Amino acid sequence: MGYKTILILLLILLSISMIVLFTNKFSMTCESIRVRVATTTSLYATGLLDYLADKFVDRIKEKYGCNTILAFMPLGSGEALRRAKNGDACLVLVHAPSLEKEYISKGVLTDGHIFAYNYFIIVGPKDDPANVSHSSNVIEAFRKIYLAGELGKAKFISRGDRSGTNVRELMIWNLTGLNPKGKPWYIETGSGMGETLLVANEFKAYTLSDIGTFLKFKSKGRIPNLVILYSNDTELINIYSVYMVSTCSGIEKSIANSFIKFLTGDAQELIAKYGIHEYGQPLFYPAKGKSEWLSKIWSMLASG
Amino acid sequence: MNGSARFGQCSLVVKGGCWDLNDVIEITLRSIYVSGLATLLSLSISVPSAYYLSRNSRVARVIIPVFEALIGIPTVFIGLVLYMLLSIRGPLGFLKLLYTPYAIIIGESILIFPLITAIIYRVMHNTWVTYGELAMTLGADEKQTLMLIAKHALPGIIAASIMGFSRAIGELGIALLVGGNIKGYTRVLTTALALEVSKGSFEEALTLGLILIVTVLSFSVLSRIIERWYGL
Repeated sequence: MGYKTILILLLILLSISMIVLFTNKFSMTCESIRVRVATTTSLYATGLLDYLADKFVDRIKEKYGCNTILAFMPLGSGEALRRAKNGDACLVLVHAPSLEKEYISKGVLTDGHIFAYNYFIIVGPKDDPANVSHSSNVIEAFRKIYLAGELGKAKFISRGDRSGTNVRELMIWNLTGLNPKGKPWYIETGSGMGETLLVANEFKAYTLSDIGTFLKFKSKGRIPNLVILYSNDTELINIYSVYMVSTCSGIEKSIANSFIKFLTGDAQELIAKYGIHEYGQPLFYPAKGKSEWLSKIWSMLASG
Repeated sequence: MNGSARFGQCSLVVKGGCWDLNDVIEITLRSIYVSGLATLLSLSISVPSAYYLSRNSRVARVIIPVFEALIGIPTVFIGLVLYMLLSIRGPLGFLKLLYTPYAIIIGESILIFPLITAIIYRVMHNTWVTYGELAMTLGADEKQTLMLIAKHALPGIIAASIMGFSRAIGELGIALLVGGNIKGYTRVLTTALALEVSKGSFEEALTLGLILIVTVLSFSVLSRIIERWYGL
């Protein structure tokens, strides 16, 4: 008898939760379409993607009805590509050419376009104990940091998360012929760019950052100890590409396609202007008109 | 919904931070909805399980220590397991639940199940020892005993629900991994907070944290008032 009552109570509670769950799911006034976009954190955290998505959704409202959502998932490039491989994203926006090449050859990514670029920068403490600011190239700059680290004068903070920035950092270390892994002055945070900059600020250490995140944190006064010490417009170029994931299909795919067209077309002007008002300089540069130059550098970076 | 805080209207200005008030309200309501449903779902299984365990002490002696140990299980671990199950390539991928609020609800209800079951078991067990056996010897039948236990255990059940709700609304790992932190769809208080931190917007993050604490506190106070009201 007691068990029966309990069972009935359980069923009632369960059915109430189910009803609430599903009425909510189906009571939407019109079918909503979600396009899953796995994106690198730097594009998202600067606010660029939300800005572009708003413009894009306004534009396609009439064609696809009221509820088209570009569902951005801010992840590192490595994680974004892994999710694409699992079929859990329809578009990927990434900046790690060597990883991209790997996934293209696996058949995960199709229809790639470079849509923007900017620069990586070496940031560090104002007094610059490793004398990075007087380097003639990026390899020399990293060698100086290594030397200062060995002498106990400097620390280097690494993302350590297989993000686009981390991949590039490791590539540069590779070119120097030095291996900082395991050294006491080489600290891996395993977290996003923002958090890594905060750590570098606390330790008065060096790190490699994308310019967008750095400017954002600098303008908010979060990283007073850090300044840009080295930048170079050929070696430290940071290329952002968009790809369609091969498992994507149906209406999601057609919207994704028009978003790629938008990104490489009308959005180029918006990208060029983005952030000028707030930071005094653009955070990203459009790829339009430079595609040949960029794809040459891309393939150079992709082959390591 | 008009873009992120920076591009939406500044309808709320807190310590130099710029907010779209609608966004904040929407995120808060979503958090309450998701965690509240997770608590209900979990309760519907916890209460019968706890009652069963309180009557079968031999099973309880094995299971309850396990549940108590599982209270501190990392949310990211549950999130990851659920992600692998719900991923398109995973065994439950056909349900298409990944990156929906329902995935978060399921994950959070799994997270808090051991917690509330362990607490409700303790309460029911004590009630059974204090009143149940006495009632049975005085000639109460199974149904009357059940009602007695239910009545005396109710404050404990409510307290357990509040604890479960608080744990669910404050967790980050599950909401991030299986929810995806999608604006206007699966963004809840904790994931929005983490995002603001990664953007360097500490004022906004602090405000979201305060909203979270106020929400949990007000639910706790509300439950106490209801208890008083009904003279429990």
